[in-house]
Amino acid sequence: MSLLPGIGAMLIFPGGLSLLTASLLYEWADHKLLALLQNRIGPRWFQPFADSVKLLAKEEIVPKGVDRWLFFGLPLVALAGALTAGLYVPLAGLAPIASFPGDLIVVLYLLSLLTLGLGLAGANSLDRFSLIGATRTLTQVFSYEAPFMMALLGPALAAGSWQIATISAYASGHWLALTQPLGFVVALIGLMGKLEMPPFDAPEAHTEIVAGAMTEYSGRGLALFNLGKAVELFIGLTLISALYLGGVENPLLFLAKTLGLLLALTGVQALLTRLRIDQTVGLWWRYGALLVLVQWLITILVR
Amino acid sequence: MTENRTPRRFTIPIGPQHPALKEPGAFQFTVDGEVVTNAYVRLGYAHRGIEKAAEERNWIQNLYLIERVCGICSHIHALAYCLAVEQLANVQAPPRAQAIRVLVAELERIHSHFLWMGVAAHEAGFETLFMYTWRDRETVMDLLEGLTGNRVNYSANLLGGVKFDVDAAQADSIRTGLEFLEGRVRHYLDVVSHDATFLQRTRGIGVMTTAQADVMGAVGPTARASNVVRDLRVHAPYAAYPDFPVSIVTDPRGDLEARFSVRLRELFESFRVIREILDRLPAGELAARMPRRIPEGEAVIRLEAPRGDVFYFVKSAGGDQPERLKIRTPTICNLTSVVRLAVGHQLADVPMILAGIDPCFSCNDRMVQVRKQSDGSQELMTWEQLRQHGIEFYRGKAQ
Repeated sequence: MSLLPGIGAMLIFPGGLSLLTASLLYEWADHKLLALLQNRIGPRWFQPFADSVKLLAKEEIVPKGVDRWLFFGLPLVALAGALTAGLYVPLAGLAPIASFPGDLIVVLYLLSLLTLGLGLAGANSLDRFSLIGATRTLTQVFSYEAPFMMALLGPALAAGSWQIATISAYASGHWLALTQPLGFVVALIGLMGKLEMPPFDAPEAHTEIVAGAMTEYSGRGLALFNLGKAVELFIGLTLISALYLGGVENPLLFLAKTLGLLLALTGVQALLTRLRIDQTVGLWWRYGALLVLVQWLITILVR
Repeated sequence: MTENRTPRRFTIPIGPQHPALKEPGAFQFTVDGEVVTNAYVRLGYAHRGIEKAAEERNWIQNLYLIERVCGICSHIHALAYCLAVEQLANVQAPPRAQAIRVLVAELERIHSHFLWMGVAAHEAGFETLFMYTWRDRETVMDLLEGLTGNRVNYSANLLGGVKFDVDAAQADSIRTGLEFLEGRVRHYLDVVSHDATFLQRTRGIGVMTTAQADVMGAVGPTARASNVVRDLRVHAPYAAYPDFPVSIVTDPRGDLEARFSVRLRELFESFRVIREILDRLPAGELAARMPRRIPEGEAVIRLEAPRGDVFYFVKSAGGDQPERLKIRTPTICNLTSVVRLAVGHQLADVPMILAGIDPCFSCNDRMVQVRKQSDGSQELMTWEQLRQHGIEFYRGKAQ
């Protein structure tokens, strides 16, 4: 790969700027669909862009008692992690920009950087809401992360490869959501847990702990975390469509499948009440992990 | 920096400003991890001096003021005041006026319970239920507006009667509206008693036994959800309730689910009473003549507001102004239970337990007695002293 197209692919299309734009549009779609389901009007299409621009331009207030390096660095690391993960997934149905055997594991870890960053950002603060939020964020990581990771490794087992491009190519011929329904459900719900969407929004339950770990973030840091979440939603949807929904060979199929998944996610968000953190942990370890293990067993036995 | 992070006595402040509270009230919850070990409440952030202000105005002007004690149950306060003054003047409002008063009071109850359910669902993180209930609440708001001209402060009462009549067209629109609302309430009752994730947050949470409810002096639906059989519409019927009786709705379980269930099932009684009133509205005058000066005397009135027991004490010295007006709203009676019940629960349940009593802080803030920390003595200021203190305080500020 020559240098210039490589940099272009990373910074402009399909990674970088295009990835950010698409993510914000998907965030809008999420908000708008949820609003329609809840009998509200919802935001206009440019609202996430406007929010990001406004927050990026705002003065960043550094609270007393925080480590400045961590305070400014963590949002950057979180967003960078999410954007880097974008290099290895088939964005918009195109081939991944970079690929190597085992990149699936790397992507999963890169996606976790955001949650880890959130937890550390909350723990870095003296604010009591942030501390409780950080505790909850990290508790939630430990509950959904393992089942989510195992659920995404299910297709890898079936395809016999740990490389996203290979699994994706294998999945094009196979609707793994049909052959591995349990893993598919766990992966989808796991994505919701990862993004702290309702009903897994206990870490930022604003009627209890204001904004959780992000309470003390006001300007740029908040914008970067929000962008990171939007990017992660987009990448998560891409990954699950590619692995479970029969692959994404072209942009049209990609659009249809990811939007279909998003609709399912908003439906779940609208239907359920927020879970307490102990209920979240119980749910993941009592059912989530068990379901995935059963799925693995079936996959290994049948294959 | 390290002292603040010691795990012991980690206190979460909820209020005076907090997203869970729509009005200022300060709660301190000491938590051990996620479990609440101690709770503390401080009130007085929204004290408006209404009782004192009432002494400065004449009987008629007070009607306007009293209507504004509470933004949600405004009618019941004006009604309590009117009934007390009528009792002092020994005037009986005509039956038609009494029936219309009850009609508005019950519509207000519907509006209040819908609003509460939305808030409670929001505290639980069930935004969809919040949005749906508030959409449906618009129906009853429109009915009230069509009837009285106002959405919030209905201004229905006069001393000695009511200001408006109910005609056939209005009665029909109310019937149609009730039809829709009844279907919705039936649906919500189904949701709050069968939705699995919602029940996880309400069933067995914040259980208050009947004995506890008695000791803590809980009132209204909060008490009835703990099987306390007490409803002033039944036990001390006022206005037109003797002619249009309601039956008491209770629940033996005492948890949050019971509070949802009681409030929603209560609405069916409201629907029934409103329909009965519309069907057999007594004929006659809308208001009786009231004297300008109210004879000397004292009156005590207790009414069943949507949130529970409202208490009014009115004292007249025979002039055109009240000598003393005392108001006690239901929230102050129920707040004790929040502080008691929160202990031992998860932090996540606290907003729900708080919302479970349907708190209204601005209504309940009355007077603050400042106790000196050194010797525990109390210092009370007279009106004149307070005025002087204010003048001197701000003069000091200006310099």
